[in-house]
Amino acid sequence: MHDLTQEALAHELGVTRQTILAIEKGKYDPSLDLAFRIARYFGVNINEIFIYDETPHT
Amino acid sequence: MKQNTFYILAGIVGLIEVGAFWLSVKYLMPLLISAVFIAGIVLLYGAWRKITDRQVDERATLINQKAGMATFMVFWVIFFATSLGSAVIGLGAPPFPHFPQPPDQGPGGVNESLRPLGDGPGLVNASIRAPGDGLIRLGHFGYLQLALLFLMFFLYVGFRIYYARKYGEWETDEEQD
Repeated sequence: MHDLTQEALAHELGVTRQTILAIEKGKYDPSLDLAFRIARYFGVNINEIFIYDETPHT
Repeated sequence: MKQNTFYILAGIVGLIEVGAFWLSVKYLMPLLISAVFIAGIVLLYGAWRKITDRQVDERATLINQKAGMATFMVFWVIFFATSLGSAVIGLGAPPFPHFPQPPDQGPGGVNESLRPLGDGPGLVNASIRAPGDGLIRLGHFGYLQLALLFLMFFLYVGFRIYYARKYGEWETDEEQD
């Protein structure tokens, strides 16, 4: 849709490509700041990208 | 400064530190290695701040924080246990340090009762130790400290790898070459 690579998105958001990949894979939960920046970058609400998971993380 | 340049500089500083340590041992100058080590760390810190291509984001910071905290907690337990053991040895040892007593303290002196009856070496002379013996024994404690510090280093590396894997450091996907 956006024709965007992880590398390009990471560069736009000021993080590493590994961080974008870890978020996609569900290995890392981004901070609120980064989550808002991602949502703003794509022009959507934050809850359209991230869903609050009630199961506790170990 | 490029990050790889920093690693080369760190290697050079490490070699200088080894040389300084060797000189310190040869000339028995403990202050030399202490001063060179601190100067080396200050130099590396200054160089580290000048790295331009370093990528540290919030995930890397989280991994470092978690690894550092876990290292600190484990190290604290090990250090406490080791210190308790050392304290037990220290409590069981005679008072420290043992400075040599003068062979003759005159009538009523502490060593009077230990003076030999004959001309041969008595208990007093036998118990006299070479000057600096206590300091040398204290220096041996440095081995234990260094071993603990190396343990701390390896603990950090281990926890760093663990948390890096946990937070997807080496995950691959279709975009990766």
